[in-house]
Amino acid sequence: MLGIPLKYNIRNLFVRKVTTSLTVLGIGLVVAVFLCVMALGEGLTRVFTASGSDSNVLVLRQNSQSELQSGISRDQVPLILTLPGIAPDADGKPLASAELVVVLNLEKLGGGSSNVTIRGIGEKGMKLRPGLTLVEGRWFAPGKSEVVVSKSVSKRFKDCTTGQTIHFGAYRWTVVGLFDAGGTAPDSEIWTDVEGMVTDFKRGGYSSVLARTSGRAARDQFVAGLAGDARLALEGKVERKYYDDQTSTAAPIKFLGFFVGIVMAIGACFGAMNTMYAAVSARTREIATLRALGFSRLAVLASFVFESLCLALLGGIVGCFLGLLAVKLALSGVTGTTNFATFSEVVFAFRLTPQLLGTGIVFSLVMGFFGGLFPAARAAFTKITSALRQVG
Amino acid sequence: MKFLPLVLKNLLRKKTRSGLTIGSILLPFFVICLLGTFVAMLDADPSMGKGMFRIAVRHKVSFANVMPASHLEKIRQLPGVKAAMPFNWFGGRYVDFSAFHVFQRFAVDPAVFFDIFDASAIVQGSAEEWRADRRGLLVGEILMKKYGWTLGQKVTLKGDIWPGVYTFTIRAVYRGQSEASVFFDQKVIDEALPARAGLYTMIWLKGVDAAAAHDLIPRINALFENSTWPVRAETEKEFQNNYVALLGNVKLFFRSLTAVIAAVVLLIAANTMAMSARERVTEIAVLRAIGFSRRLLFGLLLSESALLAVFGATLGLAAFVALFPRLRAFVLYSPVAGLAAGLRLYPDVLAGAFLVTILVGVLAGLVPAIRSVQRPIATGLRLVA
Repeated sequence: MLGIPLKYNIRNLFVRKVTTSLTVLGIGLVVAVFLCVMALGEGLTRVFTASGSDSNVLVLRQNSQSELQSGISRDQVPLILTLPGIAPDADGKPLASAELVVVLNLEKLGGGSSNVTIRGIGEKGMKLRPGLTLVEGRWFAPGKSEVVVSKSVSKRFKDCTTGQTIHFGAYRWTVVGLFDAGGTAPDSEIWTDVEGMVTDFKRGGYSSVLARTSGRAARDQFVAGLAGDARLALEGKVERKYYDDQTSTAAPIKFLGFFVGIVMAIGACFGAMNTMYAAVSARTREIATLRALGFSRLAVLASFVFESLCLALLGGIVGCFLGLLAVKLALSGVTGTTNFATFSEVVFAFRLTPQLLGTGIVFSLVMGFFGGLFPAARAAFTKITSALRQVG
Repeated sequence: MKFLPLVLKNLLRKKTRSGLTIGSILLPFFVICLLGTFVAMLDADPSMGKGMFRIAVRHKVSFANVMPASHLEKIRQLPGVKAAMPFNWFGGRYVDFSAFHVFQRFAVDPAVFFDIFDASAIVQGSAEEWRADRRGLLVGEILMKKYGWTLGQKVTLKGDIWPGVYTFTIRAVYRGQSEASVFFDQKVIDEALPARAGLYTMIWLKGVDAAAAHDLIPRINALFENSTWPVRAETEKEFQNNYVALLGNVKLFFRSLTAVIAAVVLLIAANTMAMSARERVTEIAVLRAIGFSRRLLFGLLLSESALLAVFGATLGLAAFVALFPRLRAFVLYSPVAGLAAGLRLYPDVLAGAFLVTILVGVLAGLVPAIRSVQRPIATGLRLVA
């Protein structure tokens, strides 16, 4: 079968500059909106999927959804540490950290307030999370009410930069440094030493214990050991799984992205259809001539669908470009929402991945295909004789 | 007005085009209404104006910290307090942690509960039966429907903050604010966990009148300022606002989305109007030649696009109103059901969306209309399409 040269369609798009660019911009904006909302969801999802390690086990009270609801008493900790499976540290002691998690209602820099997690960690706590780096100041000294704050939190909350003091009635903590956890969960937290915090908050125990296991078999053994000890009433979760389970926080945003994206896409699809119908009716005689020259109906159909796809592809590219521009310029800072599993703020950044950009292009092509199909069908079924006889 | 048939005829000339344009206005209009309603819902007062006298007290650090029962006694003795009770966030789980099984559970004092939430009406069972049964459960009407519960049925909750397995019997069903909640007696927790008896995450109270409530807030804050457990007291409305603020800057996000959506409609509508103006260059020149003034033609062209916008917005409005009960059900049955108490059809939101759409329609027609009427008659007549 002989196809109509593709150049025919591309040139036609350039002839009608205004219409083409308005349609392209319309599709582009829809794609850009879709990408921005999805980038928000993606950024939030990444915090959870990138957090936690497969070899760390988080010990919580049975039935606890998160560390905040959990509680482990002081006398339970030595029992946990003697269970088989925990890897020893260089000094021979088990590589584990009993931790306390409390949420603080802090004031935001831009007004309003939100809950931020303050975490007390044991002396091995840092070794269990090798991805963390200090970017300013120094680590806290135990027992001195000193804290280190994540760089992202310090950008969003008052009194959180090095040298400042966080006040809370009788409590006060001096910020001695900032850390960066590469966009993972600790980036939403403030850290201090656990014993000082237990005293400050008059707690009888801890929230959780994080333990490193040496290999898969040891990990399963440790988790089974916890489950098998009825006196403890505790359970062990693989740290990575614990965070993966919280990705549902991003579900409403992704739902919104798809919902708004799809409804708007149908709207933009109607717009593209209008453009293509106009293109077809303006070229009725041309189409009839092509048919008279021997191009098949299918060739005409394919040709116009191709033209519509080109239009949409241009829109998709413009959309990706606008989306990238928006995310890089206007939405480049960190933002936050509350994770209702832990009742505390998750700080994250918009994240426009290549996969998302790819989805945006596919999205635009789908719009182009459906927008072009019906007008192309009208073109393909043009009655040759009457169309040729038509004047102007 | 006498030109209305002409405008309509022009619109009907290209039925597909007009239909598609109306469609491309209708769908975004629907989304704008939806986003606007959601923002209005977040702004709404959950108690519908009746919560002014109610005050929520929590630990100053956050509502995940507890306060001792002695705080409650001290608050009760303040002048101007009508009633006060523990309002303890129980957490826990019902069946599992899936979104479907999320609802709020609170441990309260049944003796004064209805003095504080006096706008809630009992629709099944009675307050007496609930008070008489230590393990009785007060359930919001929406939850009864959602889970198909019946009066007298047993409901088991597993505790995490307050460990243990607790079985309750449904004794009363209420209708009113925050229907996605259940309430039971604080004594159940106090008896099950003696070591942690009398520790509350929240205390709620009601002032005798608005003035008393207004005075109580600073007084309560000052009362515990130097205690081991400093507190933060705020009105129910502020409490709700802070809860919404936890979501992040949702309002700004939704407003920006609305603006972009309006811009998309503008582009699509402007494109359509430009296309139809281009096809009618000769025709417009003829009309000018037989004596139609520039001003009249300009008005006619503009009313075409305005009329398309009116049709689109009207249909969108009808669709939104028709689908609203489904939307309400969707939100009520989701984990954010607590927010849905304020979900209504907000006339100002709908009117605003309508006006914006008409404005967009007029704006879309502006450039093509100006260009059409300014083209000299001779050029227009000479042009061969």
